[in-house]
Order: sequence, then C-alpha cells, then structure tokens
Amino acid sequence: MKKIIAVIRREFVERVRTRAFLISTILLPVFIVLMAVLPGLMMSGSDHTSRVAVVDATSVGLGQPVSQALQSEKLGDGPAAKARYSVQVFPATAANLAAVRNDLIASTGFSSKKQKDGWDGVLVLTDGTLASGKLDYYGSNVGSLDSMSKLQRSVSNALAGVRLGKSGVDEALVKRAMAPADMDTTKVSDGRLTGQSGEDSFLIAYFMGFILYISILLYGQQTMTSVIEEKTSRIMEVLTSSLTPFQMLLGKVLGVGMAGLAQMAIWGGSVFLVSSQRAHLAGLFGMSADAVRSFPIPSMAPGLLVVFLLYFALGFLLYGALYAAIGAMCNTIQETQQYAVFVTMSILVGFFSVFSLIKDPTGSLGVTMSYIPLFAPFTMPVRWSLSSVPPLQLSLSLGLMVLALLACVWLAARIYRTGILMYGKKPSWRELLRWIRA
Amino acid sequence: MPLPSVSVESVTKRFSGHTAVNRLSLEVSAGGIFGLLGPNGAGKSTTIRLIMGILEPDEGRVSLFGSAHGSRKLSARIGYLPEERGLYKKMKVLDHLIFLGETKGISRADARRRAQAWLERLGISEWALKKVEDLSKGMQQKVQFAGALLHEPELVILDEPFSGLDPVNAQVMKDIVVEIAASGRTVLFSTHVMEQAERMCDHIAIIARGETVVSGTVAQVKADFGGRHVALGFSHDKPRAEAILADRSLIARVDDYGASAELQMAEGADPEQLLAALVHAGVGLRRFEVVEPSLHAIFIARVGADAAVAHAGAAA
Repeated sequence: MKKIIAVIRREFVERVRTRAFLISTILLPVFIVLMAVLPGLMMSGSDHTSRVAVVDATSVGLGQPVSQALQSEKLGDGPAAKARYSVQVFPATAANLAAVRNDLIASTGFSSKKQKDGWDGVLVLTDGTLASGKLDYYGSNVGSLDSMSKLQRSVSNALAGVRLGKSGVDEALVKRAMAPADMDTTKVSDGRLTGQSGEDSFLIAYFMGFILYISILLYGQQTMTSVIEEKTSRIMEVLTSSLTPFQMLLGKVLGVGMAGLAQMAIWGGSVFLVSSQRAHLAGLFGMSADAVRSFPIPSMAPGLLVVFLLYFALGFLLYGALYAAIGAMCNTIQETQQYAVFVTMSILVGFFSVFSLIKDPTGSLGVTMSYIPLFAPFTMPVRWSLSSVPPLQLSLSLGLMVLALLACVWLAARIYRTGILMYGKKPSWRELLRWIRA
Repeated sequence: MPLPSVSVESVTKRFSGHTAVNRLSLEVSAGGIFGLLGPNGAGKSTTIRLIMGILEPDEGRVSLFGSAHGSRKLSARIGYLPEERGLYKKMKVLDHLIFLGETKGISRADARRRAQAWLERLGISEWALKKVEDLSKGMQQKVQFAGALLHEPELVILDEPFSGLDPVNAQVMKDIVVEIAASGRTVLFSTHVMEQAERMCDHIAIIARGETVVSGTVAQVKADFGGRHVALGFSHDKPRAEAILADRSLIARVDDYGASAELQMAEGADPEQLLAALVHAGVGLRRFEVVEPSLHAIFIARVGADAAVAHAGAAA
C-alpha cells in the first residue's frame, strides 16, 4: 500500500509540475468556450438581412403574398429588430423563366464586399407551387439548416394563407390561425421544477460530455505514453524488481487520474467563481447587464455534480486502465495506434451518442448505453441532466462500472505483467489471451 | 552452511529461436564478491534478468536466499543495477532517489536522508535539485548506482557496473563495491573486463554462449586451468625471441602484448629452458617471472577455443 502511494505521488507530482499541465489548465477552458459557442453560431443562421430575389412565374401572382410573408420576418425579438429578408419580386412567364432565373443566379452568392447589389438567394415560384408546394431555392446559404428551415417555414405559411384565402377563409382569421406557438420549457425532476430550461440542460449536457471526452483522451493517452516511456527508458527493469505490476498499474492510473481531477477542480472552481461574480466582472469590462444575461453560464444542480464527478472518476480510471494495458502490449507509440484506435472509437461513440440522447433521453438507446460501462460515463450524466433517472438504473449502472473497472484493472495487470517481461516482441492476439490466462 | 544468496539450477531461456541461456547453473554464497564473466552476447545480462525475475526461465529454477518467491517479494533485501540504465529523465535527482527508496519500502524521510548522504559521497550533491536529463551519462550512472544501494540491501546485483565510467569514477564505484563486501554483504556483478574481476572477485563464473565454461574461486579456477605460466617483459631485441616463442615443444600458447607477453609452457618444458634460450638468443629482458595464469589468459584460452570448436561444428 505504501508503495502504491509512492507511485501515485510520483505520477501526480511529476505531472502537475510540467509546463504542459499549466498550459492545458489555462487553454482548455478557452477551447471549451469556443467549442460551445461555435456550433451555436454556425447552426443558427446569419444575423444580417438576406437579399432574396423572388421569381414569380405563376399566373395567380403568388410572388406578392410570399414576399410579404418573408418581409414580415424579423431577426430577433423586439420592435427595433432588423428585417430578416429584403425581398424583390421579378415577374416571369413560363417562356422566359429560365432566362430570368439564370440572370439572377449570375449575380448571386458573392460576398457583399465584392458586389454590393448581389443576391443571397433566388426563390423560384411556378404554377405547380401552389398545388404541390414544390418550389426551388438557389442560394449561397443552403448549407445552413437553420436558415433553410426558417425560409421554408415562412414560405409554407404564405402558401397556406393563400390556399385558405382561395377557399374563402377571411384573411384576418387566417392571420390569427397561423400565429406561431411560443413554448418555454422547464425541466422537472422528482416532481419538482429544477428551474433549468431545456436549453440550459442541453448546454450542461454538452459541456459535460465534452469535458469528459477531452479529459479521457488527454489523460488516457498520457497513461499509455508513460507506460511506454517506462519501457523505453528501461526504468521498468528497476521497478519490476521492487513493485508488482498491479501496484505499478494502479498507481499510475490513479496518479494520472488525480492529476486530471485536480485540473478539473481548477476549471470547475474558476467557472464557479466567474459565474458567481459575473455581474461584478462584467462591470469591470464595461459590459451592460443585458449583455451578461445574453451569455448565461449554466448552473449545475448539486445532484448532477455528484453524478457527473462519480462517472467522471470511474470512466477515467476505466479508460486509463485500458490505455495502460495497451501501453503494456506495445513497445513504441506507433505500435499502440492499432489498439488505441478501438479505445478512441468507443470514446467517440460515447461522446456522439450524447447528441442523439439529447433528443430522446428516456429512449431505449440511452438506457442500454448507460449499462455499458465504456459508454455510461458519457450517457448517464446527460440522461440525469435531461430527464430523471430511476435510482435503480443509476445504481445498476454504477455497479456495472465498478465491476468493469476492477475486471479491466485485473486484465490490464495480467497483460502488463507479461508484457513487461517480454519486451522486444509484439504479441499476437493468441499470445495476449495466453498472457491473460497465465 | 548458510543458504546461498543466489542459486540458479540448470536454467534455460530461449528467445524466438536462439537459446540465450542453456542449462546454466551457478551458486553465489553469502558474503564476498562474485564475478559473472563472459564475452559480449554470452548471456550475462539474460542470466541476471532471470535471477531478478524480470524474465521467466523456460526451464530450471532460480532461488534467492533459498526461497523461490522471486526478487519482488525479497526486493527490500536486493539492490539491482540493470545493464541498460534507466531513470525518469524529467525528475529531479533527489526526488528520483527518494522514489526509488520508497519502492523498496523505506520511509520518505529516511529515503531523503540516505539519498542526500549518497549524493554527498558520490560528489554530486550540488546536482540534487537538477533534472536527471541535465546530468552527464557518468553522473546518471552514479545516481542509478546510489538508487540501487539506498536501502542497504544484503545482496547487490550489478550488471556491468563499471562500463562507461572514467577511471576516477570507476575507482569510486570499485571502492563502494569492495566496502559492501567488506561489511559482510554479497555482491554479484557481471563484466567482460577480466583484470577488474581478477582483482576484486572471490568467486567467478565464466560463461559463453549461455553455458558455464569455468566456475569456482579465483584460486581454484587458476589451479584447475593448470600448466606453468611465464610473464615476460622485453627491453630490446624482441624480434630475436620470435623463433623461440614459436617453438611448440617449449611453449604451448602465447599471448603477445608487444612489450610484454604471457606464455603457457608446453607439457614437460621448463621455464629455465626458456630463460636460457632467450638469454642465448640475446633478447633483452626486463621481466621474467613464473606466474599464475591470469583470468584473461584463461578466458581467452577457454572461450576462444570453445568458440573455435563451435564455429567449426557450425561449418560442418
């Protein structure tokens, strides 16, 4: 036991002392903020007014109501909001439709600096549009899902209005009937309101998954590298004469893990500080209170924090043991790649499953995945934050993780034991099996 | 009769196709210095790794202090310096020594005190707070040496301890090894430098191609080798001696160093005959002495001859 502590201390102290640790402690939060903000920015459409040319080749003048519907869309709420679209209608006939359209497309898709009167997109309405709802859009922003769905929704509304009007429904009635629903969401847990909105839950889930993903990747690889390093520097030879593989492995995994947890604690602590003092801080930077509110820092419920830390620690150790075992199998970093890719894959599967979980946190996929120890550290905190998890499921999942962890450390120690005695030789899968049984 | 510190019983170790150690047996009794001699590739390091339990033997048995538990259980009693030195490059020297002490089960405070004493003794105490990678190779070797001895083991196993050291540092290490033996503890070290082994060791084993060629006390090995040996030192006219040295009825084997030579007399030939012949031929002699065979001569004679036989066997 004293020896394990010596190994843990060495791993921890040597890691925390490095410059890399200091730099990553500072830089990672910056990346996380970027990663959290960027997809949001990319997914939500542009914040400038789009210039849309509407080619109206219909005989009933569909261009008018469509352009009205588009012009009534605003960027954001409030009376001062800018219009989302500036629209101009170009009448056309079936004969010259192609010519008009191509002419407009020729001045579409330039950056605004290059051609001031260029179009962002061309919307083509034909007689078929009213009947079948079919229409074409040519634009530079078709890759933005958010922009496209907004545009399509506006056009659909206009078409629905026109159709209803043609059937003799009063225009004012149509307007009232088409008023969109505006839903605010609040999460319920154990029959109580948590005060978190759906958006907050999503943010927390995203943050947690991401932190786990990065930390495991970062520190798991470090465990592996340090095993390899010990083998190449031959310090292993001195250590194996005084320590058992289990002591070395456990000490290494725990030591590296504690360094990771220390880093997390620093990050967590500073997030807590910043969020509790943010009004004060914003004042220092001359930001208005409004601007502060528009960039919310989600708060974590204590229960969620406990679940998250529990799964973080367990997942971390599990992956650390896996990486250490890979390190024990190989002699160079290059060799490890073929094995490490499986571990990386399951981390990735775990991480990306979070996105489908966010849509359906109570589905069978989520439940299944939270019983698989390699994925549970990603899925369970997310499920916990998005829905309420039955205590039985939680304890079962935790129990499975502890079991898997012990099995994994044991397995890794077996490989480790033989692996270090056999260096100079890459094992085949059959030999690996033999090592484990030996 | 106390239990032997190390006992290796007909151990065999094969590596993908070639046999590194072949039915090798040796016994290191408690106390004194045991030399494991052999040319490069003879299996010295493999033997030591087998003794340390770093490698598992394919056949045979290794026991330490009469127990087959392996070195790890007994690690507090054993100090080990591997052939390929390895230290954590980024660690500070003092921290590293403390860590090595801790892995041997001594307390942190104790390890610190002892590490400082060792650094002092090896003359590198001003490097205590430097990183290992900033040290020269020789200094790193001293650090590792200290690490192997920090816990005052009763059995010290050193793989090529003096290789790569300058004469001054080699002298420091030699003094330490001799001192360990003088305090009643056991040292087992491997080397291919015969002169060193001859001067330091009580017992030796010469191995070649994984097999023991000769073993026993140094005196015993010399007596068993037999024959009468003469050491010559030439002052002038050495070429005149060549015909005499080539006379196989007089001299069985010559180890010529230029200004000096070591000879093994032929069966039935007298050293006096040789001296008379040399004086008669007018060879200038600085030294003429009937001596015990040197380990070097034995080594060359036994290993060299065996190698030649093996080579012929392989060719046939």
